[in-house]
Amino acid sequence: MRILVSIDDTDTVKVDNVDVRGTGEMAELIAKAIEDNGWGSCQPITRHQLLIHPDIPYTSHNSSMCFAANIESTYLKPLIDFAADFLACESAPDADPGLCIAIIERISRPGWLISFGYMAKNYVLTKENAYDLAEKLGIHLSEHGGTGLGVIGALAGAGLRLGGNDGRFKGKLKLKTKDNTITTGKICSQSQVDIVKCLETGAVLHDDELVLLGDWVKTILHYGQAVLPVSPVNEIGTGSPGWKTYSKKQMKDF
Amino acid sequence: MLYTNGEGEFRGSKDDWDLAAQIAEKCVEFKADDEDEMVADEAVSCYNCRYRRWTVRSFVCLNKAGFIWTV
Repeated sequence: MRILVSIDDTDTVKVDNVDVRGTGEMAELIAKAIEDNGWGSCQPITRHQLLIHPDIPYTSHNSSMCFAANIESTYLKPLIDFAADFLACESAPDADPGLCIAIIERISRPGWLISFGYMAKNYVLTKENAYDLAEKLGIHLSEHGGTGLGVIGALAGAGLRLGGNDGRFKGKLKLKTKDNTITTGKICSQSQVDIVKCLETGAVLHDDELVLLGDWVKTILHYGQAVLPVSPVNEIGTGSPGWKTYSKKQMKDF
Repeated sequence: MLYTNGEGEFRGSKDDWDLAAQIAEKCVEFKADDEDEMVADEAVSCYNCRYRRWTVRSFVCLNKAGFIWTV
């Protein structure tokens, strides 16, 4: 079965010289456990930015992390138990972690879940809002410490991942090049990038088009695909790349 | 002052890249955040620091020592 695993509010800012794992790293460890235990295979993690608002308690950026996985149905309960224990034990002491695990094919009203995700990017929601919707849709939602407010972001993260048009993938791409220039075809064959696209014009690059790589090459979730966004290079000479990858500054809105 | 009093919100909003980099360069408490949370192209910038907490308009520094950077 295909599932979405989404977590939120597991971390805190480092205090008293004690390092604390970020939510992204926690998601990575859950995904690793799924694969190490032979429960299934996992897809890359996406980060979803939620609303920044004075009425919302969050650590530093209020984002949730989500990944999709394929697992055997018999491993669903072991996975929920593992992830719940993991969040309870490994989250920061003053965090408010939430866990959402949704079986994609069983979400009766996917649009409701997606809408909840976008609501969480624009409005202050409550735990009750989250639990009510999860119950209606038959989605596992649980809290594992503190106020448990992370359930809101966890459910929202699953909705935004399901919607396929929000967030950026965790980690940066590592591509083999000689001079930071590479063809679109090689980008896609060396990584999990589905397409290379200029978002300003909507142009999807052909396999033979050259791209100049920056030092922080990241993909976004766009129409359900892992998309490497690029911008046109102003001065194009013969054999020069016509495109360059986004800078951090350009990526900040995703 | 680069930071306001009280909550210590950065006056440069979310788009004063130069100022955020200048302050971080001088701050002994700067600590790079998780790479996935970085937004500034300058490696050392308050915008990339683990101690910044985004607000609606800007950010606040959660490390009190960061407040020494006032001019």
